[in-house]
Amino acid sequence: QLDRGCALHTAARGGLSFVSTQDVPAERPRAVFHTSESDPAKHTEQHEGRLYNIPLEEVKAVFPHGLPYRFQQQIQTFNEARVMVRRPALELLAYLKGSNLAHPAVRYVIYGERGTGKTMTLCHVVHYCSRQGWLVLHIPDAHLWVKNCKELLQSSYNKDRLDQPLQASAWLKNFKTSNERFLREIKTQKKYMWGKRESTEEGRPLGEVVEQGLARVRSASDAVGVVLREVKQQSQRGSFRLLVAVDGVNALWGRTTLRKEDKSPVSPEELTLVHNLRKMLRNDW
Amino acid sequence: MAAPSAAGLGRRLRAWLPRIMPVRWSRYNPSYLEPEVKKESYQKPLEELTEEERQQMELKAVRPIKAAPPTLSSSVFSDPMISKFTNMMMKSGNKVLARSLMSQTLEAIKRKQLEKYHKAPENEKETIECNPYVIFHQALKNCQPIIGLSNITKGGKTYQVPIPLTDNRKRFLAMKWLITECRENKHRRTMMPEKLSQELLLAFNNEGPVIKKKHVLHKMAEANRAYAHFRWW
Repeated sequence: QLDRGCALHTAARGGLSFVSTQDVPAERPRAVFHTSESDPAKHTEQHEGRLYNIPLEEVKAVFPHGLPYRFQQQIQTFNEARVMVRRPALELLAYLKGSNLAHPAVRYVIYGERGTGKTMTLCHVVHYCSRQGWLVLHIPDAHLWVKNCKELLQSSYNKDRLDQPLQASAWLKNFKTSNERFLREIKTQKKYMWGKRESTEEGRPLGEVVEQGLARVRSASDAVGVVLREVKQQSQRGSFRLLVAVDGVNALWGRTTLRKEDKSPVSPEELTLVHNLRKMLRNDW
Repeated sequence: MAAPSAAGLGRRLRAWLPRIMPVRWSRYNPSYLEPEVKKESYQKPLEELTEEERQQMELKAVRPIKAAPPTLSSSVFSDPMISKFTNMMMKSGNKVLARSLMSQTLEAIKRKQLEKYHKAPENEKETIECNPYVIFHQALKNCQPIIGLSNITKGGKTYQVPIPLTDNRKRFLAMKWLITECRENKHRRTMMPEKLSQELLLAFNNEGPVIKKKHVLHKMAEANRAYAHFRWW
């Protein structure tokens, strides 16, 4: 209790200096740590260390699958989603605000020890990008694609590779909830054949590809590949801005715990999802 | 405990050796005094102390003091009931695990109550108790039986005789029932904090299997009222 009192003292002193810009926190002392600025675009060093609120509807729309488990528990307990504004996140937001579309994409790495807030920083940046209207490709945890997969199918597209229908369909479902608007606007530029009978024509909205992936779970990984390729090609034209956020990126280049039917270990290149994602992480768009 | 020789005391105490060499009793020389952990007792100015307290202070200046056990703490967060409960939950000396389970249980209680608080309408918000320590103490109090049964053999037959219980025994029975209920009658895969928090919340509202067990005991004692005179103490 003694420590909390000291922290309150120092924070309150800092808080009183800009009481004019924010609303005066009422009798509740905990409100000193909150900030009413809920748009990540307007966060500055002033707001560092403060908790900003994300409305619960936005949480469901923007983060169907991104938040860590303990944070989701906190949301359930306190009935609100409060994220702390931190310096690495502010730095990254500054870089993104000043990024030039003409140049190839810059790749940023958020690194740190366990429990230091890497995933939450990523979620802050994803929230900012979705507020600004970017298309966000958020992979919540690359480790989930590389271990403990119950079903592995041999890919029909390329004989050497292995498909993961469950993980791919789960990701497609969440992708659909987070980026509804873009699925209607982006059109495919090539004809894609799913097996012998089904195909998607040129010029159909991307939503159809996603529906196809969800309906035919066997071709879900290929649908993911198609989505990634289309999005990469079309972002170069400049109609929308693209953010690829991968949590646990080291999993794409490490070892997998999966084995083929003849008990030989699977390397990450042999998984379609990982292969396509690695192509996205290259610098050529 | 070292060889029984207290420093600078009466001659008869200096060469004190217990008649029977105790293995599990306290091996301290009887001149050793208990340690005083409460900070408030040291902050009182001299004038406020009564005669007995002044004599006690003078005694403490000359007598040696026993070592404080590790569970005794002067922190505001330490609670003797919670420590006792943790000790009873402990298996094969793993106090670290027992203590972490206890803190997770208290956290679980707080989370459940907070969720209820946020969902409740305005007028009911004040009735919801969110402090897990208050809930724990009240639940234990609700689980304590008032009267117990003991086996007394008379004329070759054993009778279940209702007897009064001491405070310690009541507390022990309440805690023991809670823990056995959680360990045995729940699904194998549920975690202990989850089970315990559920049981404590039910006991706080005077519902649940532990309260039922207490009522069953009371009814048995009521039914065996006729044998109450078999008790001779």
